[in-house]
Amino acid sequence: MKKLFTAMIALLMVISLAACTSKPAEPTTPTEEPSAEVAEGKVLNVWTWNTEFWDFLGKYYADEVVDEYTLKKGDVTIKRTTYPSDGGAYQDALDAALLNQANAADDEKVDLFLAEADYILKYTNSDATMDVKTIGVTDFSNTYPYTVEAASDANGVVKGVSFQCCPAAVIYRRSIAKDVLGTDDPAEVQAAMSDWDKFNEVAAAAKAKGYYMIPTTNATYRVYSNNATSPWVVDGKLNIDANIEKWMDQSEEYVKNGYTAYTSNIWGDEATSEMFASGKSLCFFGPAWYFNFSMTNAQDPEKGCSGDWAICQGPQAWFWGGTWMLAATGTDNPTMVAEIMNTFINDEKVCDALVVNEAQFSNNQKVNNKYATDPNFGSEFLGGQNPNEVFAELAKNIKFQNVTSYDQLCNEGLQTYFTEYLDGQVATREDAINNFKDYIRTTYPSITVE
Amino acid sequence: MEKGTSSPKTRSISYAKWGYIFILPFFIVYAIFTLYPQLLTVYNSFFEYYRDGLTVVGPNFVGLANYKALFTANSAGYVPIFKFLGNTIWLWVIGALPQFTIAMLLALFFTSTRLNIKGQQFFKTVIYMPNLIMASAFAMLFFALFSQVGPVNQLLVSSGITQQPINFLGMRIYVQSLIGLMNFLMWFGNTTILLMAGIQGIDESLFESARLDGSTSTQVFFNITMPLLMPIFIYVFITSMIGGIQMFDVPQVLTNGHGIPDNTSTTLIMYLNNFLGISKNYGMAGAVSMLLFVITAVLSTFVFKTINKK
Repeated sequence: MKKLFTAMIALLMVISLAACTSKPAEPTTPTEEPSAEVAEGKVLNVWTWNTEFWDFLGKYYADEVVDEYTLKKGDVTIKRTTYPSDGGAYQDALDAALLNQANAADDEKVDLFLAEADYILKYTNSDATMDVKTIGVTDFSNTYPYTVEAASDANGVVKGVSFQCCPAAVIYRRSIAKDVLGTDDPAEVQAAMSDWDKFNEVAAAAKAKGYYMIPTTNATYRVYSNNATSPWVVDGKLNIDANIEKWMDQSEEYVKNGYTAYTSNIWGDEATSEMFASGKSLCFFGPAWYFNFSMTNAQDPEKGCSGDWAICQGPQAWFWGGTWMLAATGTDNPTMVAEIMNTFINDEKVCDALVVNEAQFSNNQKVNNKYATDPNFGSEFLGGQNPNEVFAELAKNIKFQNVTSYDQLCNEGLQTYFTEYLDGQVATREDAINNFKDYIRTTYPSITVE
Repeated sequence: MEKGTSSPKTRSISYAKWGYIFILPFFIVYAIFTLYPQLLTVYNSFFEYYRDGLTVVGPNFVGLANYKALFTANSAGYVPIFKFLGNTIWLWVIGALPQFTIAMLLALFFTSTRLNIKGQQFFKTVIYMPNLIMASAFAMLFFALFSQVGPVNQLLVSSGITQQPINFLGMRIYVQSLIGLMNFLMWFGNTTILLMAGIQGIDESLFESARLDGSTSTQVFFNITMPLLMPIFIYVFITSMIGGIQMFDVPQVLTNGHGIPDNTSTTLIMYLNNFLGISKNYGMAGAVSMLLFVITAVLSTFVFKTINKK
């Protein structure tokens, strides 16, 4: 009797455990749309580190926004999984999900995930992503070549697409420019800061008037790192490019001369507080997504200063990002994944809306160029300036090069540890670099650090 | 079935087995969730085992190479783990010293029959409160409070105490003080309640007779309270020390995982966590864990032995 009882308990436990792990497959109901040949999953899982793309997906693709994390398209539920990008947390969680992809239930599988230029190689060069041409994304004729190149593996197989093109610019405060340079006209401001020497002269002039040239020394970091002539890792060894050294020189000088408001992280409260109307910083650096998505403080209806901004190329051409959608191997919704990708690069109506409503610089040359020459098109945030006119010109020269899959943490780490030197917390620049090297040594065992 | 149970010879009932059956669940859970991972950690520490991107490297047996790497000097010429051990101990001490002092005082006040403080329940709840907040949330709160544009700096600047906002989260003295302060705030309530329980366990007649004999409060404390409280005090001290060695969430969140500035607030567990970051370096992490185990064991034995001797 007792044995029977124990056996039953044991059986019950096993069943309840099994019930947790393996859900019986839901019966697939035939879809109403005739176009769907094979029955596909009812849940599309999208992985992101912020809501930029997710909002566009809700507005321009889905039929219904159910809540912050759920959309509906036909009878398919689109779900969002988000982890913060900082410190590699997003990559970390995504890696775990992708490595478990084969064992995950269909509705739990990653279908579409976003990746940044800083680590996209890690995914494109692995089997975790698939050739999008096989699922029906074939027309890249309107996209910018660098966006396709960035999403391709070493053999040129395209694994994803970007919904944006990211030439970047100097985003300056019109009122401060007027006070310092006597003009806020983009062409004249550009002429005044067309190289780093001139930029420094403007910085001195701004200082004299009680302003700061930049909100934080880290604001210019991406301009220098993007113009590096060698990657972070060469033959398996950590390599600090000469251009990164130049950024260190500049930062040191700017702190010494008081040209910068802070030395903090560009995403932190300190630097972003400079975006308010009360801010004293002249120049921010970034592409279209930076001023339309990350400069929320400047757009604040009460404390912000929307309309008091304008863009110009600045001292050096560069680009930053953006965000690519990659198709995860093993997705049970290949048709929808392809449909989303095609929508954001080839559907002119959607690309149109991205440019007009969202101030994006879309990944469709035809649409972007149409607005670049449209005299009636202008951004309210930029005081009526046509951003496409600037970006269309800058987009021509973007080359995707010197990129490794380790870039995100190398970039974050270098800025963090060098800032300690700027703050006077380590004695020499070498100490700061040594701390950075320790960080890389611990973080990436595969990189040799000397 | 009937036959088997009706044997007259085996009538004596053994209750001992029920004891074992009742404690069995603990041992099963312990073996699966604690013992097995511990053994796995030891095992992994002898292997090269990490991820490079999405590719898993290893496990390849490398002998003591991970331990050797752990004790190799870095480019700046020092062995990182020694520095982090020093940090950990220091950060624990600056939080634990005020923690024990204040907790002891409060425990004495609350248990004193002469003072007979009113509203004890209220005070006990309030001082225990910070412990209920998640350490990471607490650190996040301090992160926002002490940022250069945060309320603390706004207060300091507007009241004219400083001209420029202070970079609290970038300077060693402030970062370490904040970590100490947070650990103190989070744990002094807990320690107070444990010490109170200990003091209340001491026979009240001892205090009374001491007072009748005319001894001062100080004499009572050092000659009666403290010696009799020793077992509880050792317990509190050792658990606090083990907790200190495992200090992680507060400095991790406050310094964004970088132990800024100059790695002066990187603790041993933060170092361990860095290995387990994006590369999932189980080999090196295993070696750090083993070292932590040894340090904890040695320190605990040492403290236990020295305090117990007196």
